[in-house]
Formats: sequence, C-alpha cells, structure tokens
Amino acid sequence: MSEESDSVLIARAKEDTEAFSLLYERYVRNIYNYIYYRTGNHHDAEDLASRTFYRALKHFARYEDRGAPFSAYLYRIAHNMVANWHRDRSRRQVVPLNELVVSSLKREQPAAMAEQKAEQDVLLDAVHKLAADRQQLLIHKFVDQMSNAEIGQIMGRTEGAIKSLYHRTLVALRQDLLGEGNERSTDELE
Amino acid sequence: MNEERTEEILAAHAEALLGRPENLSQTNVTDEEQQELAPLFTLAEQLNQNMSPVQPSAAFVRSLGKELANSAQRQVAASQRMRRGVLIGAATVGSLVSIASVVGAVVYLISRLRARSHAQVQ
Repeated sequence: MSEESDSVLIARAKEDTEAFSLLYERYVRNIYNYIYYRTGNHHDAEDLASRTFYRALKHFARYEDRGAPFSAYLYRIAHNMVANWHRDRSRRQVVPLNELVVSSLKREQPAAMAEQKAEQDVLLDAVHKLAADRQQLLIHKFVDQMSNAEIGQIMGRTEGAIKSLYHRTLVALRQDLLGEGNERSTDELE
Repeated sequence: MNEERTEEILAAHAEALLGRPENLSQTNVTDEEQQELAPLFTLAEQLNQNMSPVQPSAAFVRSLGKELANSAQRQVAASQRMRRGVLIGAATVGSLVSIASVVGAVVYLISRLRARSHAQVQ
C-alpha cells in the first residue's frame, strides 16, 4: 500500500484517478467496520460502504484539505448514510434474512458457544442503543484501536473530551445492561 | 474519586487493553480505585473482546474498487471536457469580439472618410 500522506494523495486525486483508489484502499476496511457495527449486518455494511465511497467521489472536486484526516470526511458521509438507514428502517420494520439464519444457527451451536454468542448479542444490542457519537467512539477505540488523540481528530473534539465521553459511555452502557435505562448523549441522537 | 481522575484511569486502562500499557503504569492506580472502577474495567474488557474488526469480503473490496476507479476516470474525463469546452467557448467569444472590433473600426473609418470627402465637395 502507498505510504504517501493523505494530503499528497488528495492533491493528486483531483487529476489522477489512481490516487483516489489508493485512498479507497486505505480506508475501505475502517468504513466497512464502522458501518457494520452501526447496522449489525454485512449486507447493509456493503451497500452503505459502496454508497459512502460513491458520494465521497462525487463531491471530491469540492473537498478541501484543511488538515483534518481524510477519514473524518468519509466517516461523516458514512454517519449520514447510517442515520438515513436507521430512519428508513424505523418506518418499515424488517427482519434481515441473516438474522433469521443466525437464530437458526444458534439452535445448532453447542451450549457454551451459544451462551457466548448470546452474551455478545446482549452487549452489542446495548451498544446499538447508545447515541451515535458514543457508538462511534467505541468503534474507533476497540475496532480500529485508535488512540484518544486520533479519535479526537476524527470526531472534531479534544483528547480530554474523548476521555470524558468514554467515561460517560461506559457508565451509560453499564446502566443499560443492568436494566437501569440509558442516558443519551445530548449532542447527537438518532 | 474525582471525575478527571476517573477519566484518566479509564482511558489508561483502555489503552492497556489495546496493547499500550505505558499510561496505565504511569497512572499508579490504588487498590481502592481499582475496586471502585472494577465493573467499568470488566465492561471495557468485554467490549474489547466482542468488538473485534470484521473483514469485508475480498470480492466486494475488489469489485467496488474497480467500479470506483472507472467512475473516477469518467468524472475526471468529464471535468477535463468541461474545462476544454469553457476554454474553447472563451476563445470563440474572444475571437468574435476581436473580429467585431476590427469590422467596427473599418466601418467607422470609412464613414469618417466619406463624411470628410462629402465636406470637401461642398
């Protein structure tokens, strides 16, 4: 993979299509993971990741490099895609086919594995109930394994604000898991 | 424990979970603090275990990459065509203005000469 910085690739990508492909290669997995953990299934993750990159490409000519990571731009688009997806889904309740497959598979799994899977489901369900900014923080921290400074750059906050958000997120998640209801972030509710 | 200290310890603990233990060793967490924050530490550990990266299928990454490259090529070609169009348009307008100026100047000169010869005859 190219070692050129994002800024260099962005400047090149305005004329050279290969540079955009390199940016795509650099971030496709992160964006896919972000969407996967926000939607909970691979089918929608593929669909929304495709749309995210198409939209990024469409508006790329107008993109200005102001020092923020290019990934912040992609995450912003992905965030809007996921928000629209949640809105559409809340209008028409559907059970994704792969959820049906998973539930039938659960019946066939050995007890220990099924129990572990059930625990994971409970935890991830609780994560899905968190406000969008809190989910984003957990995805960057545990899936992308980013430092607080990197997360701050992407989310447009200070490192201190990220530490504080992390603390509040853990407390809210624990309360939800204990059945005490969930406190929601004031700045970004879906 | 004050909030700032709690945030520092939780942040350092999360870093340690991700294989960066330096901050946690510098934070000097007391037994009391450890006990107080144990439920949140456990929750962070569960998150770390259950939120592992997933891999998109190689076929998906490859095919989307190809489609985007084609689309980017079309986009660059379209913008180059548009720039060329604008350039040709501007050049055409410029040429027409120049021709019109020359024609205007010639007409003006002829009318002046005519007016002068007309005055001499009278």
